[in-house]
Amino acid sequence: MNTIGATGPWRRRARPLLGTLVEVGLRDGEAAGDGEGAARAAFEAIAHVQARMSRFDPDSDVSRFHTLAVGEAIAVDPATAEVLHAARWLHDATDGVFDVGLGSGARGWRCDGERLERLAPVATLDLGGIAKGYAVDVAVEALRRHGCESGWVNAGGDLRVFGDARVPVMLRDEAHGGVRPFATVADAALASSHFGPQSRSRAWGLDRGARACCVSVAAPRCVWADALTKVVAVGGDARHRALGACGAHAWLH
Amino acid sequence: MRLTLFPAALVALAPASAFAVHYLSAEQAQKLMFPDAERFELRDVAADAGSTHAGDAPMQVRIARRGDATLGYVVVDEVVGKFERITYAVGLNRDGSVRQVEVMDYRESHGHEIRLPAWRRQFEGKTVASAIRVGEDIANISGATLSCQHVTDGVRRIVARIDALRRSGSLG
Repeated sequence: MNTIGATGPWRRRARPLLGTLVEVGLRDGEAAGDGEGAARAAFEAIAHVQARMSRFDPDSDVSRFHTLAVGEAIAVDPATAEVLHAARWLHDATDGVFDVGLGSGARGWRCDGERLERLAPVATLDLGGIAKGYAVDVAVEALRRHGCESGWVNAGGDLRVFGDARVPVMLRDEAHGGVRPFATVADAALASSHFGPQSRSRAWGLDRGARACCVSVAAPRCVWADALTKVVAVGGDARHRALGACGAHAWLH
Repeated sequence: MRLTLFPAALVALAPASAFAVHYLSAEQAQKLMFPDAERFELRDVAADAGSTHAGDAPMQVRIARRGDATLGYVVVDEVVGKFERITYAVGLNRDGSVRQVEVMDYRESHGHEIRLPAWRRQFEGKTVASAIRVGEDIANISGATLSCQHVTDGVRRIVARIDALRRSGSLG
């Protein structure tokens, strides 16, 4: 067990990606070379997810989908397809609460394998509620491929810790600033989101309720932790049945 | 999956604390971005030189050289957000395109101090900033409206300025 310190065996790097700050932590001596190659590979894996799934990038799969006419289809990146399949599963598991179509009609798109088809003229896609967690997962995989046995990736509050690293997590006080201790995480993902009028995080359907809340979800994979914060925020239910199906736990605070 | 929660009552009572992570020194950042460089020449740029933005300050450009060849440029900059202050380095290729952005220091304030002009003023000199070292052993922060918009805007300004300086021949 290793608690993370300013000194010690952990090499920490951070870059601005996914519209937030992404931090990678790995233990010196585990990865090939000096560990910089492993950190770079993790950032590149995240940059790839951003390039394929950002709705702000005109060349992304999501933007290309938006230019399609009804009945037309495109071949998407395997990573995009994986996120779309996960989003579809969670949509069905939550009776439509989790909706990457943002209410434009869940049947407005269909993804068969890696073929994404537009089915309705108004369909829009926004993977912002799930792709960040997925990006954290693929970054962890990249670290492991480069020999890292332990470490973590944190994309602005979407965190995954693996191996024998133990990471203390602080929650930011959104109203007044400063941070407070919340949890210590090992071998898990933890995503926290603050939902309020000034927040970056948005959940489809939450604006109508206009309740400010902070949601944390722990899960084995960050893709589920990230996506489920929206499900819990919308329903205000920290015991939603979709949590159990993903091996997740939630806290409203 | 192992998760230890701090008792909720204690979390509510805990005073809001500050938080800082040191990632890289300027020397480490430039070496990471240009591992083939033999030396880095420092070039001071006046506030109005190549300026594209009213708030531009004097800037120092680190020119990565190998023999007589210019490999690229590194600029260190700082931005202050709602509760956080970020020092970062931008590496630019010879043609002025962005090569890499690395965060060097991240500091989160106590909150109550961020609204005070004195808190912001202490960041105006680079040497004073090292006084903020509270909570360095804390690993990660969550639930944050952590936008890197300030960094993104800063990178854009630096790219525009380096482009103007290159075109005017000031970076030799």
